[in-house]
Amino acid sequence: MLKNRLIPCLLLRNGLIVQSKQFKRWQVLGNPTTAVRRLSVWASDELIYLDISPDAVYDLKRDDLNHPNRGSLAEIIRDVAKYCFMPLTFGGGIRTIEDIRVRLGAGADKVSLNTQAVLTPTFVTEAAETFGSQCVVLSIDAAINGENRHEVKIQRGKEWTGLDPVEWAVEGERRGAGEILLNSIDRDGAMKGFDIGLIRRVVEAVSIPVIAIGGAGKWEDLAAALSEGRASAVSAANIFHYTEQSVLNAKKYLFSQGFNVRDPKLLEDKFRDKSSVHDPTLAWTDKRKCIG
Amino acid sequence: MKYCQRCVYPEVAVNLILDDEGVCSACRVFEEFETLTGDFWAERNKRFDELIEQYRNKDQSNYDCIIPVSGGKDSYFITYMIKVIYKLNPLLVTYHGNNYLPEGQENLNTMRKSFGVDHLVFGPSIQTLVKLNRLCFKRMGDMNWHAHCGIETYPIQAAVKLKIPLIVWGETAWDVSGMHSPDDYVEFSAKSRLEHSMRGFDWYDMIDAEEGIEARDLLWARYPSDDEIESVGVRGIYIGNFFKWDPNWHAPKMRDEYGFQMARQPFERTYRMFSNLDDMHENGIHDYLKYIKFGYGRASDHASKDIRTGYMTREQGIEMVRRYDHVKPRRDLERWLQYVGMTEEEFDRIADTFRDPRVWRKDETGKWVKDNIWEDASEG
Amino acid sequence: MNRLIGIVDYGSGNVTSVVNAFEALGFSARLSRDWAELKESTHIVLPGVGAFGAGMDRLKGLDLIEKLEREVLEKGKPFLGICLGHQMLATLGLEFGEHEGLNWIQGRVEKIDTGRSQLRLPHIGWNHARVLQPEPLYRHMTESPCFYYVHSYHLVPEDPSWTSAVCDYGVMLTASIQKQNIFGVQFHPEKSQPEGLQLLKNFAELA
Repeated sequence: MLKNRLIPCLLLRNGLIVQSKQFKRWQVLGNPTTAVRRLSVWASDELIYLDISPDAVYDLKRDDLNHPNRGSLAEIIRDVAKYCFMPLTFGGGIRTIEDIRVRLGAGADKVSLNTQAVLTPTFVTEAAETFGSQCVVLSIDAAINGENRHEVKIQRGKEWTGLDPVEWAVEGERRGAGEILLNSIDRDGAMKGFDIGLIRRVVEAVSIPVIAIGGAGKWEDLAAALSEGRASAVSAANIFHYTEQSVLNAKKYLFSQGFNVRDPKLLEDKFRDKSSVHDPTLAWTDKRKCIG
Repeated sequence: MKYCQRCVYPEVAVNLILDDEGVCSACRVFEEFETLTGDFWAERNKRFDELIEQYRNKDQSNYDCIIPVSGGKDSYFITYMIKVIYKLNPLLVTYHGNNYLPEGQENLNTMRKSFGVDHLVFGPSIQTLVKLNRLCFKRMGDMNWHAHCGIETYPIQAAVKLKIPLIVWGETAWDVSGMHSPDDYVEFSAKSRLEHSMRGFDWYDMIDAEEGIEARDLLWARYPSDDEIESVGVRGIYIGNFFKWDPNWHAPKMRDEYGFQMARQPFERTYRMFSNLDDMHENGIHDYLKYIKFGYGRASDHASKDIRTGYMTREQGIEMVRRYDHVKPRRDLERWLQYVGMTEEEFDRIADTFRDPRVWRKDETGKWVKDNIWEDASEG
Repeated sequence: MNRLIGIVDYGSGNVTSVVNAFEALGFSARLSRDWAELKESTHIVLPGVGAFGAGMDRLKGLDLIEKLEREVLEKGKPFLGICLGHQMLATLGLEFGEHEGLNWIQGRVEKIDTGRSQLRLPHIGWNHARVLQPEPLYRHMTESPCFYYVHSYHLVPEDPSWTSAVCDYGVMLTASIQKQNIFGVQFHPEKSQPEGLQLLKNFAELA
């Protein structure tokens, strides 16, 4: 039978991976790819990679690392794809069909649409017709508004839209989205559990898979999103960075609790003991910036 | 160059983010710590109590944990907590990088007497160390790479070989840049070792025909495999996650009660007297290179921490930065040049190749200049 | 034997991962839409994601079909279709109307029937395959290997003996087909560590 998926999420902000707390605070975690390499070994079922950069400036902010300093997003995606042996969904700032083509061409398997889908809903259909529904994930960020109801926000959580997330999810499916990625802004980074009520309502309203994200503080929270929220898949951005073999341990927990997840086993690290300094076909041949 | 409105960090400080209000991520995390009450720490202590019991050896057939120690003030404090307060049986493990100040070496030697604990000290061959000092200085502007590697590899090798799953580290060092919040409960990881401590370089990158470094010289530098980590259940925790960390309090306590010696001479690049006696270059040329790269040094680190905890004002901190950050340390530089056989002229030439263009520029006379926090017009 | 995996780039989906996977396994892989570059291949891979009709149009537009038929049907070169590449082997595809396929495997590509199971579509995620013919693609793996799927339609061959593995999603889906030197997998082996990579290895090692 089809398994529930455990999907780590990485947030890219101006060239560095960051944690996010209520979409307002960011803390640096590291470069765009080392985390990907580890997550692959820990048997992550997929990877969601979101570009939350406020402007298109990508910089590692230093030149003395054994990691290339890429100035463009397409280059970063190509690096990520090289280390990512599981399916990769890329999102963030996607505005046109060409944007999608660039990301798929660089190595993404699916793309996630958020703000632009709300601004021009026909974009969802256009994307589904050009690339297939299975390539199109509709990402929905929801928060509780002044009237104590859930409402969709766009522009990385800055603007209210007046849309109800359940209705918007239904319309997104109608327009051709293959999956929903549902995020609770209030729960983001708070580590107090998922918004189970919201997840359940969206899951029951659509007939496409729903991935829940936002709120994981412990493995039990992931379990609740699957069992009570009835999500097809569960995702987290912050928690998987805190401990060694985190995704594997989360999966072991779920497996031990009887959840239908993939057998938790370490995978081979294809890059272990391989030097990028000595083997130019591997990764980087970056020249150090020198001035003067 | 923008600076944090509260402490003295520049925007380019490693892993730092300045938010929309001009406050840095380290100050923000400190804010989180500050709102924590006594109840919070009591809860944390309790959490540690429960965790540590899982690893206490019931039949005394093996050590309860490994404590990686350098002989520094933090090593003393962690050993004090584990052995004296929690009455566990730790194995102390030291990676000896051959950079000890005499008082630092004495502090290291004294530990197994002061605390009555077993202590494993490992040191790579001096020839290998000299070669790595030179190679890593040239390759990444950091002669101390061997130490970052050794400290974060050898104790984990020991944990796997001796089947001791728990490794107890001390300070939550990412607080320096505010990478994590108290509730993150971060543990040691291979990712952090490779990416942050070792800048993405690992032992296989150090095989070098010119220097004559071979794989067999780097056996101590090979991190165990994921399978080995999983099968022993190796886990590295930081006691800074469970106990409030204040070296201005615990260092004097270790001096007064456990024989820890402070520095006999003042450091040239900072005003603190109890840091880095185990590695003379950490406060010396290693830190000077940080200044050459990013335009700030250890004095900025110490002053920022002390401003946050209220030991000094921002004005005093800026004065420390002005006085210490740029200082080229003569004592340990002389030692290092002789140690690896390099001239100062060559040292300066190689160091200059690491000047970050985001920070440094040359003026009309060809001199390296940068913005300085004490000249910064925006600070009030 | 010097193996060269030729991967046909007809503008459909993520081909980079297919190349990366073969290279990580130690095989030389060449991605191209140009016959001059593909004809030296010892093995041919047709990847692809998306709609049947659009995929066939793009493939026809590159003027490769006849050349592929010569190499695969006549000369017997090992061929692997992945996802859409597997579906296009059929006679007819029924997504967005009726479209003609390559007709190398007689059969139709139909929508997965979720009428009774009420399961969600697309079928996205990891699912076990029940292997009916272990040789040669499923060598050196367990009896029910796990692979990654992302599709709403599946290939139903006219001759059931061509079905080499099935997968349970409320109804039995065709996970893979094989007919002499022609292989097709509905799932994405390049994204299905570790057993997917083993499958690609088994394919690349075919003489």
